[in-house]
Amino acid sequence: MSNNEFDVIIIGGGITGAGTQRDCAMRGLKTLLIERSDIATGATGRNHGLLHSGARYAVNDPESAQECIRENMILRRIASHCVDETDGLFITLPEDDLAYQQTFVDACRKAGISAEVIDPELAKRLEPTVNPDITGAVRVPDGSVDPFRLCAANMLDAKLHGGQVRLHTTVTGFIREGDTIRGVHTRNLNTGQEQDFYAPVTVNAGGIWGHDIAQLAGVHVGMFPAKGALLVFAHRVNNMVINRCRKPSNADILVPGDTVCIIGTTSTRIPFEECDSVSVTPDEVNLLITEGAKMTPTLSSTRILRAYAGVRPLVSADDDPSGRNISRGIVCLDHEERDGLKGFITITGGKLMTYRLMAEIATDAVCRKLAVDKACETATTPLPGSEEGSYEAVARKIWEKPSMAQKAAAARMGSRASRIRTRNKLDEALVCECEEVSVAEVTNAIERLDASTLTDLRRRTRIGMGTCQGEFCACRAAGLLARAHGCIEKERDDLKEFLQERWKGNFPIGWGDTLREAEYTQWVYKHVLGV
Amino acid sequence: MKFNTVIIGGGLASLVAGITLEKAGKSTAIISTGQNALHFFSGSFESMEEAPQRVTDLFAEAGIQLHYNPGVRLMPMGTFRKSTLSLEDISIFPEPAIGHKALIVSFAGYHDFFCQFLAEGLQKHGVQCSIKLLNLPELEALEQSPSEMRSVQIARTMDRIWENVVREIRILLRDEDTVILPQVFGLKDTSVLSRIRQGVPAQVVFTGTLPPSVPGIRTQMLLKRRYELLGGIYLMGDEATGAHVHEGKIHSIVTHNLGNHFLEAENFILATGAYFSKGLRSNPFEICEPVFGLDVEQAAERSDWYNPEFMREQPYMKYGVATDATLHALKGGEPLRNLYAIGSILGETRPELGTGGGLAIRSALAVADQILKPTEE
Amino acid sequence: MKLQEYTSSKHNFEECMKCTVCTAYCPVLQVNPLYPGPKQAGPDGERLRLKDPFFFNYALKYCLNCKRCEVACPSGVKVADLIMAARIKYDTSKPKWRDRLLASTDFMGHLARPVAPIANAVTSLGITKTMMDAMFKIDRRRTFPKYSPRSFEAWIGRHEKEQAAFSEQVAYFHGCYVNYNYPRLGKDLVKVLNALGVGVQALDKEKCCGIAFITNGLKAEAMKHATHNVQVLGKAVDKGLMVLTTSSSCTLTMRDEYPSLLGVDNSHMRDFVMMATRYIYEKLEKGATLRFKPDYHKKVAYHTPCHMEKLGWGIFSEKLLRMIPGVEFTMLDSACCGIAGTYGFKRENYEASQAIGAPLFEQIKAVNPDVVACDCETCKWQIEMSTGYSVMNPISILAEAILCEKDK
Repeated sequence: MSNNEFDVIIIGGGITGAGTQRDCAMRGLKTLLIERSDIATGATGRNHGLLHSGARYAVNDPESAQECIRENMILRRIASHCVDETDGLFITLPEDDLAYQQTFVDACRKAGISAEVIDPELAKRLEPTVNPDITGAVRVPDGSVDPFRLCAANMLDAKLHGGQVRLHTTVTGFIREGDTIRGVHTRNLNTGQEQDFYAPVTVNAGGIWGHDIAQLAGVHVGMFPAKGALLVFAHRVNNMVINRCRKPSNADILVPGDTVCIIGTTSTRIPFEECDSVSVTPDEVNLLITEGAKMTPTLSSTRILRAYAGVRPLVSADDDPSGRNISRGIVCLDHEERDGLKGFITITGGKLMTYRLMAEIATDAVCRKLAVDKACETATTPLPGSEEGSYEAVARKIWEKPSMAQKAAAARMGSRASRIRTRNKLDEALVCECEEVSVAEVTNAIERLDASTLTDLRRRTRIGMGTCQGEFCACRAAGLLARAHGCIEKERDDLKEFLQERWKGNFPIGWGDTLREAEYTQWVYKHVLGV
Repeated sequence: MKFNTVIIGGGLASLVAGITLEKAGKSTAIISTGQNALHFFSGSFESMEEAPQRVTDLFAEAGIQLHYNPGVRLMPMGTFRKSTLSLEDISIFPEPAIGHKALIVSFAGYHDFFCQFLAEGLQKHGVQCSIKLLNLPELEALEQSPSEMRSVQIARTMDRIWENVVREIRILLRDEDTVILPQVFGLKDTSVLSRIRQGVPAQVVFTGTLPPSVPGIRTQMLLKRRYELLGGIYLMGDEATGAHVHEGKIHSIVTHNLGNHFLEAENFILATGAYFSKGLRSNPFEICEPVFGLDVEQAAERSDWYNPEFMREQPYMKYGVATDATLHALKGGEPLRNLYAIGSILGETRPELGTGGGLAIRSALAVADQILKPTEE
Repeated sequence: MKLQEYTSSKHNFEECMKCTVCTAYCPVLQVNPLYPGPKQAGPDGERLRLKDPFFFNYALKYCLNCKRCEVACPSGVKVADLIMAARIKYDTSKPKWRDRLLASTDFMGHLARPVAPIANAVTSLGITKTMMDAMFKIDRRRTFPKYSPRSFEAWIGRHEKEQAAFSEQVAYFHGCYVNYNYPRLGKDLVKVLNALGVGVQALDKEKCCGIAFITNGLKAEAMKHATHNVQVLGKAVDKGLMVLTTSSSCTLTMRDEYPSLLGVDNSHMRDFVMMATRYIYEKLEKGATLRFKPDYHKKVAYHTPCHMEKLGWGIFSEKLLRMIPGVEFTMLDSACCGIAGTYGFKRENYEASQAIGAPLFEQIKAVNPDVVACDCETCKWQIEMSTGYSVMNPISILAEAILCEKDK
C-alpha cells in the first residue's frame, strides 16, 4: 500500500471522527483522518461537556437514555482523565410540577438509570449552591466530560495504532469511479498544498458539515442545524451537575467542568449558511442568565467568562421548528444501501458522550465492507492517559511534590503528563497563570500534539480559557510558537485572530468585570505591546 | 478632616492636580483604591502634541525627566508608534529605521519580552537583528518561581547588578550599532538608564514588556513622593463610597476605611479612571458612575457598546462622565458646583482635551487652575 | 431584571484582572522564590482550589498576612484574606507545638508574668535560645520581648475608682503586649486621655485578639477568642462606650478578620472599636485641647505598620505627631518590617524576615531619628532588634510631650 492509500478515510476531526479513527485503527485498519480546521472545533467543543446519565432523555427518548447510561459507565472506565464523576441532581423548583418527578424516576429506572429521590435538604447539603426553595430532588449518575481531552486522546490513540491525521486540511472533492467513492481530493489550508488520498471506504463524520460533505459526494443527508447557546461562568460554582426536573427546555442544565461551569442551552433552527458563524444574541444571554439563576441563584452575581454557541448535527425527521423533539439517536447511513453509492458511509446524530458507540457502529459498517472480522475493543481499552486512575495519584506518581502546574497538567493529560519534558526550572515557568500551563506543557503540545496556532494550543492545554481570557498567556505562547515555527509574520496574525476569537465570546456578555478585563486587554495589546 | 481639595483616584491625573494645588499652598488629600494605571504605562504620553514648560517642570521637580521629540518609538511587538512627550526611558526616532544592525538582549526564561517579534519587525525596516539571552546567576533565585519572572522582580535585581549586564553586552557586541533591552532598568535609581547608555558603545533602546511597567511604577513612586513631600495626604487602599451633597455642592465624602470620619473640602476632583479602575461601572443595562451617580454619556442599547472587531475602536471606551465647559461634573443634567471630573473617566466626551496621558495632564491642570483662580465670592 | 447588576457581590476573587500589581508590592516575593506570590496564591489559586482542594499549595504558609497586596490591588480583591482563608480551610497538616506556643500569647504571658525576672533572664540566655531553636525551631538570633512583673490589668484595676470619676468614659482593649510585656503604654494612654478629660475602663476580661492563632492556622482557638471578645466588647459598646486600642494588628483582627476569616459576626461593635490615635485626633478636631511641654524636642520617624496601612488610619498617628510642637517628623516609606507577628520568630523564616525589613532598616539609619514611632508591638521588637533605634507608640510620645496638671 503506498503512502496515499488507506483502508479507510475519515472526514471530520470532531469526537465522532476521532473515535471512529481510533476504533478502525484498533481493528488493524490503515486510517487517515482529515479535518479542515483543528480537533473539536465544531459541535464537539461547543456544548456543555455533560456526561449524560441519560436521565434527561428517559421520559421522551428511552432509547437514547439507555445508550447514554451504557456509554456513561464505559467512559468512566476508559476515559477517566476526561471524566469528572460529579453526579447530578434533577431539581424541582416551586414553579415546576412536582408530580413530574415520579414520571421521571419511573422512566429512569426503566432505562436502567439509577435515580434516587432525595430530601431537598440533603440536596442542598450535597450542592450548596442549588436554589434553596427547591421542592424536590433526584440524584442521578451525571458527570462532566472534557470534549477537547476526549477528542485529543482518541486521535492520539489512533496515531499510536498507526493512524494518520491531517489537520487544517479540507476535502475539495471526491475521487469517484462510477458508483464508487475511491478517495478524496484535499487541500492543506495552511500551505495550499493539494493532495489526493485513496481508500475503499470513506466515512463522513463531519457533524453538521456532514450535510455539505454528503452533497459533495452526490448524496443528500437531511440535517437540521439547531443552534444552542451557552454561557461559561468564571469559576466552578457547582460541584454537581444541576438539571431541572421537567420536560427538557431552555437553559436547564448547569455543568461543572474543570475550573468553570457552563449553563445551557437554547435551541434555534438556523440556515446552513450560518453554521460557520454562529453568535450569541443578547436575548439568548438574558434567557440563559435568568433561567440559570432560578436553579442556582448565585449565578446572577457570578462573573461570566464567555458566551458561545454550537450547532447540533440533528438528522431531521419532520418540520418541528424547535428541533427539540427530534431523536438525538445515532444515524449510520450506508450510502451503498441507501443511495447506491459504494464506499461511502455517513455517521451522524448522537451526542458527544455516545461517540464511542457511534464509532463502533461506523467501524462495524466499515469492517463489513472490507470484510474484516475483528471485534470492537474500545469499550474496554482505556484511552492514553486514562490507564492509571485519578490525576491526584498520577501527579504524585510522576512528581514527588507536584507543583500547581504539574497537578493541573496531570488533570489535563492523565498519565500522559509524564511525557512532558522538563529540562530545567525554566521549563516550569508559567505561560498561562489562570489555568497553570507551563512552558513545558505548551512545548509538548506544539511538538507532539500538532498544535500550530494559539487556538490549537488552547484546545490542548487550556491556555486562554481562564479568567483573563488570554491577556498574558496569548503573547507569551505566541512567542513560543514563533520560536518553534520560525514564522513570525504568521504568528502575528495568529495572535490577532486569537484575540479576536476571545473577544467574540466576551462582548455578548461585556459588562462588569468582563468589560474591565476587555478594556485592560485592549490597553495591553494596543497601547503597551503595539499589536 | 478638612482639606481645600479632596481628589478621588490616585493616578496620573490626580497626582498632577494634587501636586499643582499643593505647590500653590492648598491642602489636599488623594484617595486611591489601590495602585493605578500608571503601572501599565507605556512610557509615552498619548495625545501630547506639545510640551508645555509647566508640565516638564512639574515632572522634573519630582525627579522625572521628560523629553519632547515628535517621531516614532519601537513597540514590544516590533511595530512603531507615533510618539511625542515621553519618559527618558523611551528612545524616539524620526522614522522606523533605527539603525543598521541591532542586538536584542533578554534573559533566559523571561517570556514577557518578545525578541522574535522585535527582530522580525525591525528587519522589515532594514535592521539586521540578532538575539542573545543572558543567563545571569543573580537571576537564579527568580528562576525558581514559575510565575515571578516578571519585569518588576527582574528590575529589583537589575538595580543591583546592571553593571554586569553592561559588561555582558560589551562582550557580546560586535558590529551592532543598536542594543535593544527590555524596560527592566532603573526601578528605584533613574540614573541607571543614562549610565547604561554611557556604558554600552552603541545606542541603547529600552523597549516595553508585559505589565507591570517598570518606568510606570517608577513614575508613580516619584510623583507620589513629590506630592507627599509637598504635604499632600495620599490615602492608599481606601475607596470613596458615598458623598454628602447639599444644594448642588459636595459637602464631604465617605470612605471605606474612615467610615464615619468624613472628608470635607471646598473642592472635589473625581479622577477614578474608566472601567478597569472602576471609575465607570457597567452592568447589562447601563454604565454608571458609582460614587456620586453622575451622568454618563453612553449608547442606550448594550449591543451598541462594542465593535465585534477586537482591534477596532470600541464605542464603550468613548463613554464618560458628562461635564460642563469648566469640567464640573453633571448630575441630572445640572453641574455640581464644586465637583470636577478629570482623566480617563471623561472617556472621549471632551475630544479637545485628548486621550490617555494627554487627557489626564490637560484636564488636571485645567481644573487645578480653575480651583486656584481667585473667586469673586 | 436586576440580574448581573452587581457582578461582584459574592465572588470577590473574580474581580481580579490579573494585572499583576500585587506581585510588585509583596514583600515576601522579593526574598523568597518558594512563595507563589499573592496573585497565584490568592485569586488564581482560589479558582483551582474550588475545583479541587488537591490544588491547595502548602507554600501559602510563607504569606506574612501583611495585606500589602490588598492595599495595592486596584480591583479591591481581598488577596490576603483569600490566602488566610485557604490555609484555614485546606491545610490538613497538624499545627506544630512551636506554632501553638508562639500563638498563645496570653497563655504564655500569664505563665511568665509572675516570674518575669526569671523568665526574662531565661529567654535571653544563650543556652535557652539554643534549646528553643533546637526543640521548637524558634530562631536563636531573635530577641524575646521582656515580660513585665506586674500586669496592666492589675494596674488599671487599682485605678478603677479614680478613672470612674471622669465624666467621659472609654473602654480600653489593651491586648497581650500591654498587659504582660509593656504596661507603660497603657498607662501612657490613660495619661493622655485623662488630660483630655476622659476616664479609661478595662473590659470585662478581654482575651488575646487571636491574630496569631489565625496566622498559625489554629482556627478553633481563634474562634474561641473571637467569640469571647465579640461578647465582651459588645457589652462595653452596649454601655455606650468606645473601645480604644493601641495595637494596629489587634484592631484589624477584631474589626475585619473576625467576620471575614472566622465568620464571627461583629457588626454590632465593629464601628466602635478604634485606634486611640484616631479617637484622640477626632477629639482634638472637635475642639478639645492638649497642652504641650514648651521645651519638648524629638526627631521622630514614623513607620506605618502593615495592618495600619490596611486600616488606612496611619494618617491619624501622623497628624497627631505633627501636631506636637518640637517634633521633627519624617514619614518613612511604607514598607513591611518583616516580623509579621510570629512569622519572623520561626527559624525557617528568619532570613526572609530580616531581608524583607532591610530597606526599612536602612532608611531608618539614614534618617537617624531620636525615636521611631509605630503603632505595632511586633514591628517595635523587630526594628529595635535590627536597628538599635528605640521605638515608641505615638501614644507614648504624646504622653511624654504633654503637660499634665501634676507636671505644672
